[in-house]
Amino acid sequence: MSAENHLSRSGEERLYEELSRSNRVTTRWWYIGVAGLSAVVLWAVAVFVYQMMTGMGVTGLNLPVFWGMYIILFVFWIGVSHSGTLISAILRITRATWRAPVLRGAEAMTAFALLVGGLFPLIHLGRNWRFYYMIPYPNERGLWPNFRSPLMWDAAAIFTYLTGSTLFLYFGMIPDLALARDRSSGWRKTLYTILAAGFRGTHRQWRRYHVASTLFAILIIPVAVSVHSIVSWDFAMAKVPGWHSTIFAPYFVAGAIYSGIAAVITVMAVLRKMFRLEQSLTPKHFDNLGKLLLTMTLLWGYFYFSEFLTIWYGRLIEEWAVLSSYGKHYLPLFAVMVSCNFLIPLPLLCFRRIRRSIPALFVISLIVNVGMWTERALIIVPSLARRNDPFVWHNYFPSWVELSIFAGSIAFFALLYVLFSKIFPVMAVTDIKEQMFHTTDRAMGGVTMASVSHEPGEDET
Amino acid sequence: MTDRGKTDLVVLGLFDSVEQAAKGACALRSLPLPAHDITTLSSVPLPDGAVCEDTAPIRFPWAVAAFWFVGAAAGLGLSLVTYLDYPLITAGKEIISVPPMIIVTYEIAMLGALLATLIGSFRSIGLARLKGRKARKVFDPRIHEGKIVLCARVEHGDEENRAIAAMKETGGLDVRAEEGEL
Repeated sequence: MSAENHLSRSGEERLYEELSRSNRVTTRWWYIGVAGLSAVVLWAVAVFVYQMMTGMGVTGLNLPVFWGMYIILFVFWIGVSHSGTLISAILRITRATWRAPVLRGAEAMTAFALLVGGLFPLIHLGRNWRFYYMIPYPNERGLWPNFRSPLMWDAAAIFTYLTGSTLFLYFGMIPDLALARDRSSGWRKTLYTILAAGFRGTHRQWRRYHVASTLFAILIIPVAVSVHSIVSWDFAMAKVPGWHSTIFAPYFVAGAIYSGIAAVITVMAVLRKMFRLEQSLTPKHFDNLGKLLLTMTLLWGYFYFSEFLTIWYGRLIEEWAVLSSYGKHYLPLFAVMVSCNFLIPLPLLCFRRIRRSIPALFVISLIVNVGMWTERALIIVPSLARRNDPFVWHNYFPSWVELSIFAGSIAFFALLYVLFSKIFPVMAVTDIKEQMFHTTDRAMGGVTMASVSHEPGEDET
Repeated sequence: MTDRGKTDLVVLGLFDSVEQAAKGACALRSLPLPAHDITTLSSVPLPDGAVCEDTAPIRFPWAVAAFWFVGAAAGLGLSLVTYLDYPLITAGKEIISVPPMIIVTYEIAMLGALLATLIGSFRSIGLARLKGRKARKVFDPRIHEGKIVLCARVEHGDEENRAIAAMKETGGLDVRAEEGEL
């Protein structure tokens, strides 16, 4: 490649060695991690089988609270999934210069969070073996799914988003799989050869690859927005106080992007530490993600206040019963939510030093996701527990079965990520190389600056 | 003009930099070899025109647009047939409820477009080809060491020799002719 660019200076060989460390080096800690996570997942599976055989009575659900931990986790994980593909797609379309090290981790996060989140409606079904009733197919019952039900909109949206996100993840990996194919042997070579599908890197292939990649990014953004809108409509379509709101779709989308960005930061910080990616994932990347998180903190606060103010001012009896419970029975949850989602991250993220401190940003990202989980719980539970007739009001607390499956979902997500990072390139090697190839040093007065070149026509307005 | 479509002889040469490869490509074009018979193999995408040009139009986005409509028709049909096949009033909604149809139609339209993007791009890029998969494609894994491989489809004999000479003169390393597809 050109002598002046950062790629030739770095050396492709060394760069590949550094970025593919997760595929090549297997430490004792990796085995311990996989064993530990597998044990938690197996425990959750066993508990689920117990629930299936015993019935939903083993959960904390009871009328009128018929949606609890499983639906909270469904909304939470779908929310987490939201930002990975969205961030990646936006960064690809805008060709943000800092995008490359973030792409793969964010895209994989979406696919895995969706896989985990998509399980919860099935776990919540009760008679889980009847899950195929949701699939439209000619059957002896003469029944087809009722598309007037928002739950069927969910099924359609999540299927589309999972398919799209997986394709987006796979398509983005093709050049890296071709690279891995040429540098591996044994079963890995066979696997990468199949998945690389014959990609060689001819000029014609690259040009078409870029068009397709951009097209995927453009298509996946409206799907991502629609998915969380539809999840919000599961609630907003019901005439339940606290749920029946026109603002719910954009509010859910904003919340999902918020928790998703926090999850991207968490994942990036862990990957950086585990696979020693300090050279590629620099404080600059975390600073930029921190700025996005700060923006979403403000946006979330704005949406929440808008929703809160309307209900507070209107004081419709049934809505007021729900809202006032935030200051009584649900005060601890409410305090956690407001603190974790707004009061703590907002001032901290204003400081550049904190945004560039990876441990600090990692802690903030965890705090935000605790806050977002609490927010999901506060949306779902109080609206049912304080619904209409005070005679039927009832509080809810998850049982050990639900808590086990909660732990299992986190472990399953982490396990998928750990296994993925062992088999597939966890960093977008080709994107990083491309970025470095386009970057040269340029003297400007007394300083030397990195200068990124663009293809002719890219910057035309 | 001879029919060059049938030739399967390719001359390859390795270059250390884009600038060198561009000189090599320029020399090949002046032989003259047509632009569509010259390409590069590289580990990162090179800007169009830097070394060679891809003049063929990219048409698969039209297929994506078409399959968006196919998906939309499938979604519309699915919800409409369901309503008519099982005409049960639920939650006081009309048998044929348009707003839910829009949602289902939209999701399946997007699914159609996403699948068409994958299939269309695979066809356009020439990936996962089942037909003629045994045909050898020219390749050199040293692209992952930072080299740029300049390739030109040539005819046996004089053209082959002139292409090899042109690449060597412009700094090409390990210049050779191989049987295979470009």
